[in-house]
Amino acid sequence: MDFQLTEAQDFFKKTVADTIDRLILPKADEIDEKDEFPWNLWREFSRLGYLGLRYPEEIGGMNADKVMCMIFYEEIARGSVGFAQSVIMNILMGTYFLYRFGSDAIKERCLFPAMRGEKIATMCFTEDQSGSDLGATRTTFVRDGSGWRINGTKMWITNGPICDFCTVLATSDPTKGLKGLNFLLVEKGTPGFSSGQVINKLGCRGTVTGELIFDNVWVPEENLLGEELDKGVFYLGEVLDEVRLMTGAMALGIARAAYDEALEFARKRIAFGKPIGVNQLIREKFAEMDTLMNAARLMVYYGAWMLENNMESRIIAAEAKMYATEVCLKVVDELTRIYGANAFAHEYKPQRFFRDARFLLYGGGTHEVLKDFIGRTIIGKL
Amino acid sequence: MKILVFVKQVADTEARITITNNGRSLEVENKYALNFFDEFAIEEALRIKERLKDVEVVVCSYGPKRSIEALRTAIAMGADRAVLIDSKDLDTDDPLITAKILSGFAKGDGFDMILCGKQAIDDENATIGPMVAEMLHIPHVGLVTKIETPEGGEVRVDRDIEGGRQTVKVKLPCLLIVQKGINEPRVPLITGVMKAMKANIPVLDPATYGIDVNSCTKEEAKVKVVRYESPGGRPPVKFIEGATAEEKAKRLIKVLKEEARVL
Repeated sequence: MDFQLTEAQDFFKKTVADTIDRLILPKADEIDEKDEFPWNLWREFSRLGYLGLRYPEEIGGMNADKVMCMIFYEEIARGSVGFAQSVIMNILMGTYFLYRFGSDAIKERCLFPAMRGEKIATMCFTEDQSGSDLGATRTTFVRDGSGWRINGTKMWITNGPICDFCTVLATSDPTKGLKGLNFLLVEKGTPGFSSGQVINKLGCRGTVTGELIFDNVWVPEENLLGEELDKGVFYLGEVLDEVRLMTGAMALGIARAAYDEALEFARKRIAFGKPIGVNQLIREKFAEMDTLMNAARLMVYYGAWMLENNMESRIIAAEAKMYATEVCLKVVDELTRIYGANAFAHEYKPQRFFRDARFLLYGGGTHEVLKDFIGRTIIGKL
Repeated sequence: MKILVFVKQVADTEARITITNNGRSLEVENKYALNFFDEFAIEEALRIKERLKDVEVVVCSYGPKRSIEALRTAIAMGADRAVLIDSKDLDTDDPLITAKILSGFAKGDGFDMILCGKQAIDDENATIGPMVAEMLHIPHVGLVTKIETPEGGEVRVDRDIEGGRQTVKVKLPCLLIVQKGINEPRVPLITGVMKAMKANIPVLDPATYGIDVNSCTKEEAKVKVVRYESPGGRPPVKFIEGATAEEKAKRLIKVLKEEARVL
């Protein structure tokens, strides 16, 4: 077994970390405080080319393997989760189905500009009455002439209010549940497509999240992304493991940022005449955090390696997302205990990590749903 | 035109460094980075390349194998190629030996201009640039803050002097030692990172360039580190107490006069 990053992966990790340290970390607090999409940073960052991370070199991407993708997701989340969410939406979920099923014209119009950061992408799953329960999707589409007519409202859409295009999850028949799901591309400016409420979030601030409304929106035939009708849930399966592992990698990123903050504080903070890091109860916290983070890291990167090698990764991806997120919550909680009352003040970092970490509980499936999925898959049909 | 840039991989500023072996050696946490001042030199070489187009930027380091990572960073930024001269058997504390080896490389590989940072942030010697220039019998300019586009076999550069700035014209080939403020080093593009990841960086023996290895051994070193000491801890912060601002001010003046002795 070889757990070591290759020399190329290791160099990539250090270069990405340095880029994040220079461009994103210094702005992380401001992004959080203003809670506005950081357009200047977006332009500066997208110019570097990372938005094409996971796509082939022939179309201007980097063709990064899954381990490198996780390295990137972890590092950017360490810098600013608010910014990371917008970036990763463009890299992964917001463009995946265009890359996979889009016509040449669609790729030219949407995918390639999104890879260059000239267009903002998003993906719309969640509705006010459905999130993890995708079978309950109420946004519908029907055949209308040479295209499709879409009706419905999506909620909690990352990049939604500022997106240039979105991949919408819609059903051909709400009674079909998961078997009626499909993906359709809708571009900004299409009549009937608009942005509604912008959500004032507790964490991950800086990413604009909100409601998207599809009021009798008509799109041409080619905007149905998929080779066959009603196979959306299978197509989703192609990318779901990566999405879950990505969420786990982001959790690792926040956990590392929190851990580093705790470590620096424990080494410097003097109480009762000595650094608090010499106290056994503080040392125990670091032993615990380090153990948990190592376990979470192994799960996330093992999952990425399995995915890269086309191995069955549904269970490990769900477990890694769930476990890494829980570890992140634990580490952030310990940071606030080590830091003392200042962790409760807006002028210090711990409160941001504390708020940001909570959001990872929901994306990629709630842990209650994931546990049910894992258990059900292991036990099988009885 | 060919520009050589000499770089060094140094301990990252965040790496934990422990004095070991009874003060005779250092144990460095495994975190290394491209020397801060060398990034300015690479950036400046790349800017000249962007202006003149027909320029090759070659980056060279003399150090242990791990230094390849610093060279990859240089390639990610845009350098054309990089070379590592392995210090495996010759590693000494003497900058004269490093200068001998780097000047040997420069002679062998050829150059029109050499750029380097003003000092390495680990040993802070700040001697390699001038020594290499002397060994190559070429002019050097230190503390450079601006390099104009070379023209007609010479280049105009600005350098900081006490209380002002000096502009000098220097004939090529030359060695320029750059310092902070000359530019803002670029963040590598992903295309550069990809190129760097795949780059084959040759690791060479000093003898490859006809360098007299026998004069570069530990025994030949003229400088040897005797011991390391960590800086003393900062004195404690003293709070000046007092019922009123006036009283606090009086006590502060007394402390500044009698204890700090700065008044």
